[in-house]
Amino acid sequence: MSVSFERLIDGVIDALQSHVVPNSNDDFVRGQVFSAIYALNGLKLAADWKAGPLLEQVRLQDDTFAAVRRLADGMIHPEIPTTPRVQGDTSDATAIEALRNDGDRQLGQLLLWASGEDARAADRDAATEIERLLRRAICDQLKIELATTPKSMLQQIAGGEREGSAAQG
Amino acid sequence: MPEAAKRSDDVPGTAPNLVRPAVVNDDAVQTALAQHMSRISGSRTEIKCFGRKSSGFSWITYAFAARSALGGDRKLILRVGPPSGLFAPYSVLPQVHALQALAGSGVPVPALVSSAQDGAEIGLPFFICEHIEGDVPAPWAASEIDPDHKRAIARQFIEILASLHRIDPSATPFASLQQGGERAEVSAIAGWRASLARPTARYYPLLDWGGRWLHDNCPQPPCRTIVHGDYRIGNFIEHRGRIAAILDWELTHLGDPHEDLAWAMMPTFNARSRKLYGVLERAEVIDLYQRASGIAVSDRSLAFYEAYALYQAAAIQMCAVRAFEVDRFNDMRLAVMASQMPSIVRAFERALEAAA
Repeated sequence: MSVSFERLIDGVIDALQSHVVPNSNDDFVRGQVFSAIYALNGLKLAADWKAGPLLEQVRLQDDTFAAVRRLADGMIHPEIPTTPRVQGDTSDATAIEALRNDGDRQLGQLLLWASGEDARAADRDAATEIERLLRRAICDQLKIELATTPKSMLQQIAGGEREGSAAQG
Repeated sequence: MPEAAKRSDDVPGTAPNLVRPAVVNDDAVQTALAQHMSRISGSRTEIKCFGRKSSGFSWITYAFAARSALGGDRKLILRVGPPSGLFAPYSVLPQVHALQALAGSGVPVPALVSSAQDGAEIGLPFFICEHIEGDVPAPWAASEIDPDHKRAIARQFIEILASLHRIDPSATPFASLQQGGERAEVSAIAGWRASLARPTARYYPLLDWGGRWLHDNCPQPPCRTIVHGDYRIGNFIEHRGRIAAILDWELTHLGDPHEDLAWAMMPTFNARSRKLYGVLERAEVIDLYQRASGIAVSDRSLAFYEAYALYQAAAIQMCAVRAFEVDRFNDMRLAVMASQMPSIVRAFERALEAAA
């Protein structure tokens, strides 16, 4: 997910309060919605994105950094972080997400460098291999995110349609 | 013949105080709209059947009937640029230029009634156009519509695109959209790159790298035309087997005609099919377009713009994330659009490989 957990919960609560509650005249439905809002407020205080998939991404990034360091040996390149960046069992999702985001920026800098003129001039074969490695690794990282992405409900979301079964997770 | 469209400052009357609201209040919009319609028509006008239409992700669309003492009800559409919407800050100019320049051309558009970039009574950029009878087909999923009917619509859709691309932009207000010395199509890429470089919750390395590649490898266009910018199934009104109006001109610009063709053929807008509207084969689309427009389609340019279409789709998703996360625009549809990013970015990487 590209939005923060807390903001997402705030948005869901606002959508329920601003659009669902005022348009529901059924006391039972309103009770259900207020219960959902209460539960969401609880989640906001106690929950966060799952740490597991984020940690998997950080570890994949670390493997990529290590491989790039080997291939780029002797070349002048952007900073490559020392790995592993996470020691032992960590469950602080916010901290891991920040590491993942920093890692993405560093991978981006390396990819721009490897596909640029300077790296090609220094060692064309190595630069090409690094570019391929980075593109493949970044795509593999996206696969981890896809595994935690529910099936698209774009039709229902865009059109607000009642018909059609809800997408399964 | 529709009456000439009026810019708010063309019309004499009490100049409104320009206070831009932070959020769009439908009741306030309706009240202000009555004042605006009364001023431009010179007659007290009531607003009837006023309601928000849910479909748009960007401009807020209202349908209403204007009832004046001079005549009966006139069904109209109001579109307002919200202060923190998907592409905020908004300009009415591309849409106003399109509706003005294309009136009476081979490209059907709703007649423009009024517009105001400064917001006039409503306080936000807006334009008013005529209501067009008909249906808007859903691009996201396969439908029960008869395939022969869809084929006829798909062919019209391409013929209208060819008509748009045959227009000489230098003779239209679009010529004023060209700024600076940079090629128009390169400027458009630069605009999306700048948009993606804004602070958001996520940075995607493949988009940064791919944006540079697109910028450095943008092909020379066969000719520079008016580009709709969001030409797809779902952005037109169909009535009794005819396309009655092409809608949503907010991304209109000058550029390479391949851009519209590639965008229209994206599987996302064709119920995940490689065929246009799920019925027209790619080769048939290209053949029909070439014959109708007189523009030769280049495989290389089309591959480039298919990659660019995915890049642009990703940038639009990130605009949605930004509007929700940073600008606090409360529309949950924008928040969940972000969940499509991994699949779009992967498809972009594959499309770049094909284009390189």
